[in-house]
Amino acid sequence: MSQSAAAPLMLPPKVSGEKPGVGHMEEFGLNFARFLMRCNAECGELAEFNMGGQQTVLMSGPEAQEAFLKTLDQKLSRAAAYQATVPVFGKGVIFDAPPDKMKAQLKIQVDALRYQKMKNYSTVISQEVEDWVADWGDEGELDFLDEFLRLTLHTATHCLLGKDFRDQMTEEFRELYHDLEKGLQAIAFVDPYMQQPIFEARDKARARLQELIGAIIAERRANSEVEYGDALETFIAGTYADGSHLTDNEVTGLVIATMFAGHHTSSGTATWTLTELARQKEYSADVLQELQALFKDDSEITFESLREIPRLERFIEEVLRLHPPLILLMRRVIEDIDYKGTLIEAGKTVAISTYGSHRNTDYFPDPECFDPNRPEPDTLFAYIPFGGGPHKCAGNAFAMMQLKAIFAALLPRYEFELVDPDETYQDDFSAIVLKPSGPCRLRYKKR
Amino acid sequence: MKIKIDLALCQGHSVCLGEAPEVFNVVDQDDGYPHVKVLLESPPEELRAKVMKAAKYCPNSVITVMED
Repeated sequence: MSQSAAAPLMLPPKVSGEKPGVGHMEEFGLNFARFLMRCNAECGELAEFNMGGQQTVLMSGPEAQEAFLKTLDQKLSRAAAYQATVPVFGKGVIFDAPPDKMKAQLKIQVDALRYQKMKNYSTVISQEVEDWVADWGDEGELDFLDEFLRLTLHTATHCLLGKDFRDQMTEEFRELYHDLEKGLQAIAFVDPYMQQPIFEARDKARARLQELIGAIIAERRANSEVEYGDALETFIAGTYADGSHLTDNEVTGLVIATMFAGHHTSSGTATWTLTELARQKEYSADVLQELQALFKDDSEITFESLREIPRLERFIEEVLRLHPPLILLMRRVIEDIDYKGTLIEAGKTVAISTYGSHRNTDYFPDPECFDPNRPEPDTLFAYIPFGGGPHKCAGNAFAMMQLKAIFAALLPRYEFELVDPDETYQDDFSAIVLKPSGPCRLRYKKR
Repeated sequence: MKIKIDLALCQGHSVCLGEAPEVFNVVDQDDGYPHVKVLLESPPEELRAKVMKAAKYCPNSVITVMED
Protein backbone atom coordinates (compact mmCIF):
# COMPACT_ATOMS: atom_id res chain seq x y z
CA MET A 1 0.00 0.00 0.00
CA SER A 2 2.78 2.46 0.94
CA GLN A 3 4.47 1.76 -2.39
CA SER A 4 1.41 2.74 -4.38
CA ALA A 5 1.08 5.92 -2.32
CA ALA A 6 4.69 6.85 -3.12
CA ALA A 7 4.73 6.02 -6.83
CA PRO A 8 1.59 6.93 -8.77
CA LEU A 9 0.35 4.04 -10.84
CA MET A 10 0.58 4.08 -14.62
CA LEU A 11 -2.35 3.30 -16.89
CA PRO A 12 -2.26 0.50 -19.49
CA PRO A 13 -1.00 1.60 -22.95
CA LYS A 14 -3.76 2.07 -25.53
CA VAL A 15 -3.96 0.23 -28.83
CA SER A 16 -3.85 2.42 -31.96
CA GLY A 17 -6.60 2.61 -34.54
CA GLU A 18 -9.54 3.54 -32.30
CA LYS A 19 -12.48 5.03 -34.21
CA PRO A 20 -15.03 7.47 -32.83
CA GLY A 21 -18.23 5.82 -31.63
CA VAL A 22 -17.24 2.20 -32.25
CA GLY A 23 -13.72 2.04 -30.85
CA HIS A 24 -11.98 -1.09 -32.16
CA MET A 25 -15.18 -3.05 -32.85
CA GLU A 26 -14.72 -3.17 -36.63
CA GLU A 27 -11.19 -4.51 -36.56
CA PHE A 28 -12.18 -6.87 -33.73
CA GLY A 29 -15.12 -8.17 -35.76
CA LEU A 30 -12.99 -8.80 -38.85
CA ASN A 31 -10.70 -11.29 -37.13
CA PHE A 32 -10.56 -11.01 -33.37
CA ALA A 33 -7.77 -13.53 -32.90
CA ARG A 34 -5.44 -11.53 -35.16
CA PHE A 35 -6.58 -8.24 -33.64
CA LEU A 36 -5.66 -9.48 -30.16
CA MET A 37 -2.22 -10.54 -31.44
CA ARG A 38 -1.74 -7.05 -32.85
CA CYS A 39 -2.69 -5.52 -29.48
CA ASN A 40 -0.05 -7.63 -27.76
CA ALA A 41 2.63 -6.97 -30.40
CA GLU A 42 2.03 -3.22 -30.24
CA CYS A 43 1.60 -2.68 -26.48
CA GLY A 44 3.12 -5.69 -24.73
CA GLU A 45 1.87 -7.37 -21.54
CA LEU A 46 -1.10 -5.01 -21.07
CA ALA A 47 -2.98 -3.50 -24.02
CA GLU A 48 -6.15 -1.45 -23.67
CA PHE A 49 -8.70 -1.31 -26.46
CA ASN A 50 -12.30 -0.17 -26.82
CA MET A 51 -15.04 -2.72 -27.49
CA GLY A 52 -17.94 -0.52 -28.52
CA GLY A 53 -17.62 1.60 -25.36
CA GLN A 54 -16.34 -1.10 -23.00
CA GLN A 55 -12.67 -0.44 -22.17
CA THR A 56 -10.93 -3.81 -22.30
CA VAL A 57 -7.41 -4.66 -21.18
CA LEU A 58 -5.77 -7.64 -22.85
CA MET A 59 -3.33 -9.39 -20.50
CA SER A 60 -0.63 -11.36 -22.35
CA GLY A 61 2.18 -13.68 -21.36
CA PRO A 62 2.17 -16.45 -18.72
CA GLU A 63 2.67 -14.09 -15.77
CA ALA A 64 -0.25 -11.80 -16.64
CA GLN A 65 -2.40 -14.78 -17.65
CA GLU A 66 -1.65 -16.45 -14.32
CA ALA A 67 -2.76 -13.31 -12.46
CA PHE A 68 -5.95 -13.26 -14.55
CA LEU A 69 -6.75 -16.94 -14.05
CA LYS A 70 -5.95 -17.10 -10.33
CA THR A 71 -7.87 -14.00 -9.24
CA LEU A 72 -11.21 -14.93 -7.72
CA ASP A 73 -14.68 -13.71 -8.67
CA GLN A 74 -14.88 -11.11 -5.90
CA LYS A 75 -12.19 -9.06 -7.68
CA LEU A 76 -12.42 -10.26 -11.29
CA SER A 77 -15.96 -11.31 -11.99
CA ARG A 78 -16.89 -13.93 -14.55
CA ALA A 79 -20.57 -13.25 -13.94
CA ALA A 80 -20.36 -9.56 -14.88
CA ALA A 81 -18.37 -10.37 -18.05
CA TYR A 82 -20.65 -13.15 -19.24
CA GLN A 83 -24.09 -11.54 -18.82
CA ALA A 84 -24.85 -12.44 -22.44
CA THR A 85 -25.40 -16.01 -21.22
CA VAL A 86 -28.20 -15.01 -18.82
CA PRO A 87 -31.14 -15.04 -21.28
CA VAL A 88 -29.76 -18.29 -22.76
CA PHE A 89 -29.14 -20.24 -19.54
CA GLY A 90 -32.09 -18.59 -17.76
CA LYS A 91 -32.83 -16.23 -14.88
CA GLY A 92 -31.14 -17.21 -11.65
CA VAL A 93 -28.79 -19.66 -13.38
CA ILE A 94 -24.97 -19.57 -12.94
CA PHE A 95 -23.87 -16.04 -13.93
CA ASP A 96 -27.25 -14.61 -12.85
CA ALA A 97 -27.33 -16.38 -9.49
CA PRO A 98 -26.08 -14.81 -6.23
CA PRO A 99 -22.44 -15.87 -5.54
CA ASP A 100 -23.29 -18.66 -3.07
CA LYS A 101 -25.93 -20.15 -5.37
CA MET A 102 -23.64 -19.86 -8.39
CA LYS A 103 -20.95 -21.80 -6.53
CA ALA A 104 -23.47 -24.46 -5.54
CA GLN A 105 -24.72 -24.81 -9.12
CA LEU A 106 -21.18 -25.12 -10.50
CA LYS A 107 -20.46 -27.73 -7.83
CA ILE A 108 -23.53 -29.73 -8.90
CA GLN A 109 -22.38 -29.43 -12.52
CA VAL A 110 -19.02 -30.98 -11.55
CA ASP A 111 -20.82 -33.70 -9.57
CA ALA A 112 -22.21 -34.80 -12.94
CA LEU A 113 -18.64 -35.12 -14.25
CA ARG A 114 -17.33 -37.24 -11.40
CA TYR A 115 -15.42 -40.45 -11.86
CA GLN A 116 -18.34 -42.90 -11.79
CA LYS A 117 -20.39 -40.81 -14.22
CA MET A 118 -17.45 -40.49 -16.59
CA LYS A 119 -17.40 -44.28 -16.90
CA ASN A 120 -21.04 -44.23 -18.03
CA TYR A 121 -20.33 -41.44 -20.48
CA SER A 122 -17.42 -43.26 -22.10
CA THR A 123 -19.72 -46.21 -22.82
CA VAL A 124 -22.38 -43.87 -24.22
CA ILE A 125 -19.89 -42.09 -26.48
CA SER A 126 -18.42 -45.32 -27.83
CA GLN A 127 -21.94 -46.51 -28.68
CA GLU A 128 -22.75 -43.24 -30.41
CA VAL A 129 -19.58 -43.45 -32.51
CA GLU A 130 -20.49 -47.01 -33.55
CA ASP A 131 -24.00 -45.91 -34.57
CA TRP A 132 -22.53 -42.99 -36.47
CA VAL A 133 -20.14 -45.02 -38.63
CA ALA A 134 -22.54 -47.95 -39.07
CA ASP A 135 -23.73 -46.86 -42.52
CA TRP A 136 -20.46 -45.42 -43.84
CA GLY A 137 -19.63 -48.35 -46.10
CA ASP A 138 -16.13 -48.89 -47.53
CA GLU A 139 -15.54 -45.38 -48.78
CA GLY A 140 -17.17 -42.01 -49.19
CA GLU A 141 -16.97 -38.30 -48.70
CA LEU A 142 -18.52 -36.21 -45.92
CA ASP A 143 -18.60 -32.66 -44.62
CA PHE A 144 -17.17 -33.31 -41.18
CA LEU A 145 -18.16 -29.93 -39.84
CA ASP A 146 -21.79 -31.08 -40.03
CA GLU A 147 -20.98 -34.64 -39.07
CA PHE A 148 -19.19 -33.77 -35.86
CA LEU A 149 -21.83 -31.20 -34.90
CA ARG A 150 -24.42 -33.96 -35.17
CA LEU A 151 -22.34 -36.62 -33.42
CA THR A 152 -21.50 -34.35 -30.48
CA LEU A 153 -25.12 -33.18 -30.21
CA HIS A 154 -26.03 -36.85 -29.89
CA THR A 155 -23.34 -37.60 -27.30
CA ALA A 156 -24.14 -34.42 -25.34
CA THR A 157 -27.89 -35.02 -25.19
CA HIS A 158 -27.36 -38.72 -24.44
CA CYS A 159 -24.93 -38.06 -21.55
CA LEU A 160 -26.94 -35.12 -20.21
CA LEU A 161 -30.57 -36.06 -20.71
CA GLY A 162 -30.46 -39.81 -21.09
CA LYS A 163 -31.06 -42.45 -23.71
CA ASP A 164 -34.82 -41.97 -24.09
CA PHE A 165 -34.47 -38.29 -24.77
CA ARG A 166 -31.62 -38.86 -27.21
CA ASP A 167 -33.53 -41.57 -29.10
CA GLN A 168 -36.66 -39.47 -29.36
CA MET A 169 -34.90 -36.19 -30.05
CA THR A 170 -37.18 -34.19 -32.28
CA GLU A 171 -36.54 -31.70 -35.03
CA GLU A 172 -38.21 -29.16 -32.76
CA PHE A 173 -35.52 -29.65 -30.12
CA ARG A 174 -32.75 -29.13 -32.69
CA GLU A 175 -34.38 -25.92 -33.88
CA LEU A 176 -34.89 -24.57 -30.38
CA TYR A 177 -31.30 -25.33 -29.51
CA HIS A 178 -30.17 -23.63 -32.69
CA ASP A 179 -32.20 -20.51 -31.84
CA LEU A 180 -30.51 -20.40 -28.45
CA GLU A 181 -27.10 -20.69 -30.13
CA LYS A 182 -27.86 -17.79 -32.40
CA GLY A 183 -28.68 -15.74 -29.31
CA LEU A 184 -25.07 -15.96 -28.17
CA GLN A 185 -23.23 -14.16 -30.95
CA ALA A 186 -20.63 -11.43 -30.38
CA ILE A 187 -23.35 -8.74 -30.46
CA ALA A 188 -24.94 -10.30 -27.37
CA PHE A 189 -21.82 -9.38 -25.42
CA VAL A 190 -22.49 -5.70 -26.18
CA ASP A 191 -26.14 -5.86 -25.06
CA PRO A 192 -28.14 -9.10 -24.87
CA TYR A 193 -31.46 -7.27 -24.43
CA MET A 194 -31.54 -5.20 -27.64
CA GLN A 195 -34.69 -5.33 -29.78
CA GLN A 196 -33.49 -7.92 -32.30
CA PRO A 197 -35.26 -10.82 -34.01
CA ILE A 198 -32.45 -13.20 -32.94
CA PHE A 199 -33.02 -12.28 -29.31
CA GLU A 200 -36.79 -12.67 -29.58
CA ALA A 201 -36.26 -16.13 -31.07
CA ARG A 202 -33.79 -16.90 -28.26
CA ASP A 203 -36.34 -16.01 -25.57
CA LYS A 204 -39.10 -18.06 -27.18
CA ALA A 205 -36.75 -21.02 -27.54
CA ARG A 206 -35.68 -20.82 -23.88
CA ALA A 207 -39.32 -20.80 -22.74
CA ARG A 208 -40.27 -23.78 -24.92
CA LEU A 209 -37.19 -25.77 -23.84
CA GLN A 210 -38.33 -25.21 -20.28
CA GLU A 211 -41.60 -26.96 -21.13
CA LEU A 212 -39.87 -29.87 -22.90
CA ILE A 213 -37.19 -30.49 -20.28
CA GLY A 214 -39.61 -29.62 -17.47
CA ALA A 215 -41.78 -32.56 -18.53
CA ILE A 216 -38.83 -34.95 -18.18
CA ILE A 217 -37.89 -33.46 -14.83
CA ALA A 218 -41.46 -33.94 -13.55
CA GLU A 219 -41.40 -37.57 -14.68
CA ARG A 220 -38.02 -38.12 -13.01
CA ARG A 221 -39.13 -36.49 -9.75
CA ALA A 222 -42.12 -38.85 -9.71
CA ASN A 223 -39.85 -41.90 -10.24
CA SER A 224 -36.88 -40.99 -8.08
CA GLU A 225 -35.94 -44.62 -7.40
CA VAL A 226 -34.94 -45.25 -11.05
CA GLU A 227 -31.23 -44.92 -11.93
CA TYR A 228 -30.47 -43.20 -15.20
CA GLY A 229 -26.72 -42.62 -15.01
CA ASP A 230 -26.96 -39.31 -16.85
CA ALA A 231 -26.22 -35.75 -15.78
CA LEU A 232 -29.87 -34.76 -15.39
CA GLU A 233 -30.17 -37.26 -12.56
CA THR A 234 -27.34 -35.47 -10.73
CA PHE A 235 -28.79 -32.02 -11.36
CA ILE A 236 -32.20 -33.06 -10.01
CA ALA A 237 -30.69 -34.69 -6.91
CA GLY A 238 -28.36 -31.76 -6.17
CA THR A 239 -29.03 -29.50 -3.19
CA TYR A 240 -28.09 -26.07 -1.92
CA ALA A 241 -26.49 -25.56 1.50
CA ASP A 242 -29.95 -25.36 3.15
CA GLY A 243 -30.95 -28.71 1.68
CA SER A 244 -33.36 -27.32 -0.92
CA HIS A 245 -33.30 -28.65 -4.47
CA LEU A 246 -32.77 -26.74 -7.69
CA THR A 247 -35.95 -25.46 -9.34
CA ASP A 248 -37.02 -26.85 -12.73
CA ASN A 249 -35.81 -23.60 -14.28
CA GLU A 250 -32.38 -23.98 -12.66
CA VAL A 251 -32.07 -27.64 -13.67
CA THR A 252 -32.98 -26.73 -17.26
CA GLY A 253 -30.48 -23.88 -17.11
CA LEU A 254 -27.70 -26.21 -15.99
CA VAL A 255 -28.53 -28.58 -18.85
CA ILE A 256 -28.32 -25.72 -21.36
CA ALA A 257 -25.15 -24.29 -19.80
CA THR A 258 -23.47 -27.69 -19.93
CA MET A 259 -24.49 -28.18 -23.57
CA PHE A 260 -23.08 -24.78 -24.44
CA ALA A 261 -19.83 -25.47 -22.62
CA GLY A 262 -19.27 -28.78 -24.32
CA HIS A 263 -20.96 -29.07 -27.67
CA HIS A 264 -19.38 -26.65 -30.15
CA THR A 265 -16.04 -26.73 -28.38
CA SER A 266 -15.88 -30.52 -28.77
CA SER A 267 -17.23 -30.57 -32.29
CA GLY A 268 -14.85 -27.85 -33.54
CA THR A 269 -11.88 -29.62 -31.95
CA ALA A 270 -12.93 -33.00 -33.37
CA THR A 271 -13.21 -31.49 -36.86
CA TRP A 272 -9.79 -29.88 -36.58
CA THR A 273 -8.28 -33.09 -35.21
CA LEU A 274 -9.54 -35.11 -38.14
CA THR A 275 -8.38 -32.46 -40.60
CA GLU A 276 -4.90 -32.39 -39.07
CA LEU A 277 -4.78 -36.20 -39.01
CA ALA A 278 -5.40 -36.13 -42.77
CA ARG A 279 -2.82 -33.39 -43.24
CA GLN A 280 0.02 -34.52 -40.96
CA LYS A 281 0.66 -37.93 -42.52
CA GLU A 282 3.81 -38.70 -40.57
CA TYR A 283 2.37 -37.97 -37.13
CA SER A 284 -0.94 -39.64 -37.88
CA ALA A 285 0.95 -42.80 -38.88
CA ASP A 286 2.53 -42.73 -35.40
CA VAL A 287 -0.88 -42.35 -33.80
CA LEU A 288 -2.33 -45.17 -35.88
CA GLN A 289 0.51 -47.48 -34.90
CA GLU A 290 -0.10 -46.71 -31.26
CA LEU A 291 -3.84 -47.38 -31.54
CA GLN A 292 -3.27 -50.66 -33.39
CA ALA A 293 -0.92 -51.81 -30.64
CA LEU A 294 -3.30 -50.76 -27.85
CA PHE A 295 -6.52 -52.09 -29.34
CA LYS A 296 -5.36 -55.40 -30.75
CA ASP A 297 -7.92 -57.82 -32.19
CA ASP A 298 -10.74 -55.31 -31.92
CA SER A 299 -10.45 -55.27 -28.13
CA GLU A 300 -13.15 -53.07 -26.71
CA ILE A 301 -12.74 -49.37 -26.12
CA THR A 302 -13.42 -48.76 -22.43
CA PHE A 303 -12.96 -45.95 -19.95
CA GLU A 304 -9.80 -47.65 -18.68
CA SER A 305 -8.32 -48.26 -22.11
CA LEU A 306 -8.99 -44.68 -23.13
CA ARG A 307 -7.17 -43.18 -20.20
CA GLU A 308 -3.69 -43.43 -21.60
CA ILE A 309 -3.04 -43.04 -25.33
CA PRO A 310 0.02 -40.78 -25.24
CA ARG A 311 0.61 -40.11 -28.95
CA LEU A 312 -3.05 -39.43 -29.64
CA GLU A 313 -3.14 -37.17 -26.58
CA ARG A 314 -0.10 -35.21 -27.74
CA PHE A 315 -1.66 -34.91 -31.19
CA ILE A 316 -4.96 -33.56 -29.81
CA GLU A 317 -3.07 -31.23 -27.49
CA GLU A 318 -1.22 -29.79 -30.46
CA VAL A 319 -4.56 -29.33 -32.26
CA LEU A 320 -5.82 -27.47 -29.19
CA ARG A 321 -2.70 -25.30 -29.19
CA LEU A 322 -3.15 -24.18 -32.80
CA HIS A 323 -6.95 -24.13 -32.76
CA PRO A 324 -8.14 -23.41 -29.20
CA PRO A 325 -11.96 -23.49 -29.37
CA LEU A 326 -12.39 -20.59 -26.95
CA ILE A 327 -10.04 -17.79 -27.92
CA LEU A 328 -11.12 -15.01 -25.63
CA LEU A 329 -11.67 -15.38 -21.88
CA MET A 330 -13.04 -12.35 -20.05
CA ARG A 331 -13.62 -10.95 -16.55
CA ARG A 332 -15.05 -7.66 -15.30
CA VAL A 333 -12.84 -5.71 -12.88
CA ILE A 334 -14.78 -5.24 -9.61
CA GLU A 335 -12.01 -3.66 -7.49
CA ASP A 336 -9.10 -1.60 -8.86
CA ILE A 337 -6.11 -3.80 -9.63
CA ASP A 338 -2.46 -2.88 -9.33
CA TYR A 339 -0.68 -5.12 -11.82
CA LYS A 340 3.07 -4.57 -11.41
CA GLY A 341 2.62 -0.82 -11.05
CA THR A 342 -0.14 -0.39 -13.61
CA LEU A 343 -3.66 0.47 -12.52
CA ILE A 344 -6.52 -1.44 -14.09
CA GLU A 345 -9.61 0.39 -12.92
CA ALA A 346 -12.86 -1.13 -11.69
CA GLY A 347 -15.47 -1.23 -14.44
CA LYS A 348 -13.02 -2.19 -17.17
CA THR A 349 -12.99 -5.65 -18.71
CA VAL A 350 -9.82 -7.75 -18.66
CA ALA A 351 -9.23 -10.48 -21.21
CA ILE A 352 -6.74 -13.15 -22.19
CA SER A 353 -6.29 -14.76 -25.59
CA THR A 354 -5.56 -18.48 -25.72
CA TYR A 355 -4.89 -18.20 -29.45
CA GLY A 356 -2.26 -15.50 -28.92
CA SER A 357 -0.71 -17.24 -25.93
CA HIS A 358 -0.28 -20.44 -27.95
CA ARG A 359 1.67 -18.48 -30.58
CA ASN A 360 4.06 -16.84 -28.11
CA THR A 361 7.47 -17.62 -29.67
CA ASP A 362 9.18 -17.61 -26.25
CA TYR A 363 7.30 -20.83 -25.46
CA PHE A 364 6.35 -22.17 -28.89
CA PRO A 365 9.13 -21.54 -31.42
CA ASP A 366 7.95 -21.58 -35.04
CA PRO A 367 4.38 -21.43 -33.67
CA GLU A 368 2.44 -22.12 -36.88
CA CYS A 369 4.28 -25.42 -37.38
CA PHE A 370 2.24 -28.47 -36.28
CA ASP A 371 4.53 -30.49 -34.05
CA PRO A 372 3.07 -32.80 -31.38
CA ASN A 373 6.59 -33.46 -30.11
CA ARG A 374 7.45 -29.90 -29.16
CA PRO A 375 8.64 -29.53 -25.55
CA GLU A 376 6.14 -28.53 -22.89
CA PRO A 377 6.54 -24.97 -21.56
CA ASP A 378 8.00 -24.71 -18.04
CA THR A 379 4.93 -22.79 -16.84
CA LEU A 380 1.29 -23.90 -16.52
CA PHE A 381 0.08 -20.56 -17.90
CA ALA A 382 1.41 -20.52 -21.47
CA TYR A 383 -0.61 -23.48 -22.80
CA ILE A 384 -4.17 -22.73 -21.69
CA PRO A 385 -6.77 -24.34 -23.99
CA PHE A 386 -8.96 -25.04 -20.94
CA GLY A 387 -7.96 -21.90 -19.03
CA GLY A 388 -6.34 -22.70 -15.67
CA GLY A 389 -6.36 -21.97 -11.97
CA PRO A 390 -9.41 -22.49 -9.75
CA HIS A 391 -11.93 -21.91 -12.58
CA LYS A 392 -10.29 -24.17 -15.13
CA CYS A 393 -12.80 -25.80 -17.48
CA ALA A 394 -14.37 -28.57 -15.39
CA GLY A 395 -15.12 -30.52 -18.57
CA ASN A 396 -11.48 -30.89 -19.62
CA ALA A 397 -11.25 -34.59 -18.79
CA PHE A 398 -14.63 -35.25 -20.42
CA ALA A 399 -13.51 -33.44 -23.57
CA MET A 400 -10.27 -35.40 -23.87
CA MET A 401 -12.04 -38.69 -23.15
CA GLN A 402 -14.63 -37.98 -25.84
CA LEU A 403 -12.03 -37.01 -28.45
CA LYS A 404 -9.96 -40.09 -27.70
CA ALA A 405 -13.05 -42.32 -27.89
CA ILE A 406 -13.88 -40.90 -31.31
CA PHE A 407 -10.43 -41.24 -32.86
CA ALA A 408 -9.54 -44.55 -31.22
CA ALA A 409 -12.61 -45.96 -33.00
CA LEU A 410 -12.20 -44.09 -36.26
CA LEU A 411 -8.53 -44.13 -37.16
CA PRO A 412 -7.81 -47.87 -37.15
CA ARG A 413 -10.79 -48.42 -39.46
CA TYR A 414 -10.55 -45.65 -42.00
CA GLU A 415 -7.95 -43.51 -43.66
CA PHE A 416 -8.81 -39.90 -44.39
CA GLU A 417 -7.83 -37.45 -47.10
CA LEU A 418 -8.57 -33.79 -47.69
CA VAL A 419 -10.90 -33.23 -50.64
CA ASP A 420 -10.14 -29.56 -51.23
CA PRO A 421 -6.76 -27.79 -51.53
CA ASP A 422 -4.89 -27.84 -48.22
CA GLU A 423 -4.85 -24.04 -47.78
CA THR A 424 -8.66 -23.81 -47.91
CA TYR A 425 -8.94 -25.48 -44.48
CA GLN A 426 -8.64 -22.40 -42.27
CA ASP A 427 -9.81 -21.21 -38.86
CA ASP A 428 -13.24 -19.59 -39.02
CA PHE A 429 -13.29 -16.60 -36.68
CA SER A 430 -16.87 -15.56 -37.36
CA ALA A 431 -18.37 -17.51 -34.47
CA ILE A 432 -17.60 -17.34 -30.75
CA VAL A 433 -16.26 -20.89 -30.79
CA LEU A 434 -13.43 -21.63 -33.21
CA LYS A 435 -13.91 -24.26 -35.92
CA PRO A 436 -12.56 -24.91 -39.43
CA SER A 437 -14.17 -22.91 -42.20
CA GLY A 438 -16.94 -24.90 -43.87
CA PRO A 439 -17.50 -27.09 -45.69
CA CYS A 440 -14.80 -29.30 -44.23
CA ARG A 441 -14.82 -32.15 -46.72
CA LEU A 442 -12.80 -35.28 -46.25
CA ARG A 443 -12.72 -38.57 -48.13
CA TYR A 444 -12.60 -41.77 -46.13
CA LYS A 445 -11.59 -45.25 -47.18
CA LYS A 446 -11.63 -48.49 -45.25
CA ARG A 447 -8.15 -49.72 -44.26
CA MET B 1 6.90 -40.71 -1.00
CA LYS B 2 4.98 -37.66 0.20
CA ILE B 3 1.80 -36.19 -1.23
CA LYS B 4 1.35 -32.48 -1.87
CA ILE B 5 -2.02 -30.96 -2.75
CA ASP B 6 -2.92 -27.63 -4.34
CA LEU B 7 -6.42 -27.19 -2.93
CA ALA B 8 -7.04 -23.98 -4.87
CA LEU B 9 -7.23 -26.08 -8.05
CA CYS B 10 -9.42 -28.91 -6.68
CA GLN B 11 -12.94 -29.17 -8.13
CA GLY B 12 -13.78 -32.48 -6.51
CA HIS B 13 -13.82 -34.65 -9.65
CA SER B 14 -12.98 -37.65 -7.40
CA VAL B 15 -10.65 -39.43 -9.79
CA CYS B 16 -8.14 -39.83 -6.92
CA LEU B 17 -10.82 -41.41 -4.74
CA GLY B 18 -11.61 -43.86 -7.54
CA GLU B 19 -7.95 -44.76 -8.11
CA ALA B 20 -6.63 -44.86 -4.55
CA PRO B 21 -9.40 -44.85 -1.92
CA GLU B 22 -6.83 -45.89 0.73
CA VAL B 23 -5.08 -42.56 0.30
CA PHE B 24 -7.68 -40.04 -0.85
CA ASN B 25 -11.18 -39.04 0.13
CA VAL B 26 -13.32 -36.23 -1.30
CA VAL B 27 -15.24 -34.14 1.21
CA ASP B 28 -18.05 -31.61 0.73
CA GLN B 29 -17.22 -28.05 1.78
CA ASP B 30 -19.56 -25.40 3.22
CA ASP B 31 -19.06 -23.44 0.07
CA GLY B 32 -18.21 -24.33 -3.53
CA TYR B 33 -16.52 -27.46 -4.84
CA PRO B 34 -15.83 -30.53 -2.68
CA HIS B 35 -12.13 -30.96 -1.90
CA VAL B 36 -9.75 -33.85 -1.75
CA LYS B 37 -8.71 -34.96 1.73
CA VAL B 38 -5.46 -36.87 2.03
CA LEU B 39 -5.85 -39.81 4.38
CA LEU B 40 -2.23 -40.93 4.22
CA GLU B 41 0.28 -38.17 3.63
CA SER B 42 3.18 -40.60 3.35
CA PRO B 43 1.56 -43.71 1.89
CA PRO B 44 3.39 -47.04 1.98
CA GLU B 45 5.40 -48.10 -1.05
CA GLU B 46 2.89 -50.79 -2.09
CA LEU B 47 0.35 -48.08 -2.89
CA ARG B 48 2.74 -46.25 -5.20
CA ALA B 49 1.17 -47.45 -8.47
CA LYS B 50 -2.30 -46.38 -7.36
CA VAL B 51 -1.11 -43.01 -6.07
CA MET B 52 0.75 -42.29 -9.29
CA LYS B 53 -2.42 -43.00 -11.28
CA ALA B 54 -4.44 -40.69 -9.05
CA ALA B 55 -1.93 -37.90 -9.62
CA LYS B 56 -1.67 -38.54 -13.34
CA TYR B 57 -5.38 -38.72 -14.10
CA CYS B 58 -6.47 -35.82 -11.87
CA PRO B 59 -8.20 -33.47 -14.35
CA ASN B 60 -6.80 -30.38 -12.66
CA SER B 61 -3.29 -31.53 -11.71
CA VAL B 62 -3.99 -31.00 -8.03
CA ILE B 63 -1.75 -33.82 -6.72
CA THR B 64 2.04 -33.82 -6.68
CA VAL B 65 3.99 -36.86 -5.49
CA MET B 66 7.34 -36.01 -3.91
CA GLU B 67 10.10 -38.37 -2.93
CA ASP B 68 11.27 -38.38 0.71
